[in-house]
Amino acid sequence: MKQWSDLDDFQSFIDTGGMVEPVDDMPDEYRNEVFRFIEFHANSELMGGLTERDWIPRAPGLRLKQIFLAKTQDEIGHAHLLYMVAADMGVKNRTEMLEDLYDGRSRFHNVFHYQAVTWADQIAIAYLVDAAALASQRSVFANCTYGPYKRVLKRIVAEEGFHMRHGEEMLLRLAEGTDIQRQMFQEALNRWWLPSVQLFGPDSPENDPLLRWKIKTERNEDLRHAYVQQYVPLLQGYGFEIPDPDLRQVDGQWLIGDIDWEPLKATMRNGGPDSRRRIETAANNWADTAWVRESLAAAVDRTQREAAA
Amino acid sequence: MTTSDQLSPGSREWLLAFADDEHMIGSRHAAWIGLGPFLEEDLAFCSIAQDELGHAIRLYEFITDEVDRFALLREPAEYRSAWLTELPCDHWDQALTRHWLYDQAEQLRWGALSRSSDDGLQALVARAEREEAFHRQHAELFLSRIAAGGEEGRARIRSALEFLLPYAVAIWEPVAGESEALSDGLITTGSDSLAQQWEDSIKTSLEGWDLSTSWPQPISGQDNRHARTPEFPALLASLQEVITIDSAAIW
Repeated sequence: MKQWSDLDDFQSFIDTGGMVEPVDDMPDEYRNEVFRFIEFHANSELMGGLTERDWIPRAPGLRLKQIFLAKTQDEIGHAHLLYMVAADMGVKNRTEMLEDLYDGRSRFHNVFHYQAVTWADQIAIAYLVDAAALASQRSVFANCTYGPYKRVLKRIVAEEGFHMRHGEEMLLRLAEGTDIQRQMFQEALNRWWLPSVQLFGPDSPENDPLLRWKIKTERNEDLRHAYVQQYVPLLQGYGFEIPDPDLRQVDGQWLIGDIDWEPLKATMRNGGPDSRRRIETAANNWADTAWVRESLAAAVDRTQREAAA
Repeated sequence: MTTSDQLSPGSREWLLAFADDEHMIGSRHAAWIGLGPFLEEDLAFCSIAQDELGHAIRLYEFITDEVDRFALLREPAEYRSAWLTELPCDHWDQALTRHWLYDQAEQLRWGALSRSSDDGLQALVARAEREEAFHRQHAELFLSRIAAGGEEGRARIRSALEFLLPYAVAIWEPVAGESEALSDGLITTGSDSLAQQWEDSIKTSLEGWDLSTSWPQPISGQDNRHARTPEFPALLASLQEVITIDSAAIW
């Protein structure tokens, strides 16, 4: 078990490439910040799965239904892994985290407070949102100082890479498809572009503890800028219009219009367009299935009692 | 591989009924994604849904070259799904109980195909039987724990059984032309014999869990699988919602 005399000692350990493990006597400030970040990531994976689930029954083909099921299963699998990593930090257990989520006491990514209105929104999520999430996760993975999180991110980043390629393939079908398909995607792009660039969050504050402790390695605005450089030309190349009247190119760099962060703040307080329905669906289901968890727990107790007798 | 124009009407009907059952049960299971009673179960049940949809695809391939259009764009009367597979079962007690009843039957149906004279079918059966072994184990283990876990769970499973068993028994109503499928060598066991094996196995498990129940008559009205449940139109409308947006589109 590693110990540090004070925060400065801990910081120099971090600055020289140190890796923190659950058994270490990490400073409470680090434990709480890292826990909050992983819990947010876990919640977002789970609520992302719930955002995608709406259109799975309507998939226009059996293989497509299998593929989207597998993708959503991956997202829920990521949530499962992340909740275990977070629970090991000793701040909250998994049930407490889920119940905080369902009671609206904890947060998840802005993009999953919106509704997928058409099948093309499903593709926009797979193409735009997954790519933004992947860029963000890769940057965390690069130098992450919390060992269990970094190890889980290795798998998550690999799987999200598959999702992104799948999203590209699905987008191509719409981009090279009929007028109706292209129109559907343009309308989905109009809905999902701004949430996607907002996914990176407002510009990072000076002295962001997550940057200082090398959980994040890049500032939010830098990640957003790189994303815009990559996706503006791609989408325009497919013949789609970026829904930003102030989008411009300066010295070869794409610059987007100023973002009004107020709607995002409301969204993050669970006041987004689909926040209530999404959380209620999950919360009601959690309550409806409580008897299953209680029965299984009782069965385990009974088995243990019988073994002890 | 057998192709649709080589299949007799009876063999085609048998495969179609099985394929439609797998399609509908896979679609109904899929609706649980994200809403399982706990995360591990969410992952497991979603894998089962994917397997069942995979079986549906492979079975449809013996009947048609255009699986998606065939699977999604028929008139209700052209489907041959058993009523058990069409029901929503949107509470976990029913979803779990149906999963168990259906997969016990599914195993026997693959077994009936396993000595088929068709090489392509034999390869499919071998793969499906490997997957189904896990499905049955999952359902049995889950139900056995609920059965050992106290009165509320037991009462819920009893109630689900009471509702679902008449539908489940009706899965064995023979398709029109079953005797032809038997004489073709597509299947080697008829539905009467499979139904008896299934009933014995279901009763043995229920007895072991102290959940024995009076054995019901099959639900009436399935009409050799030509009739659909009242819930089917909404299910079909949802399956067709995207693919019918644009008939020229490739999704």
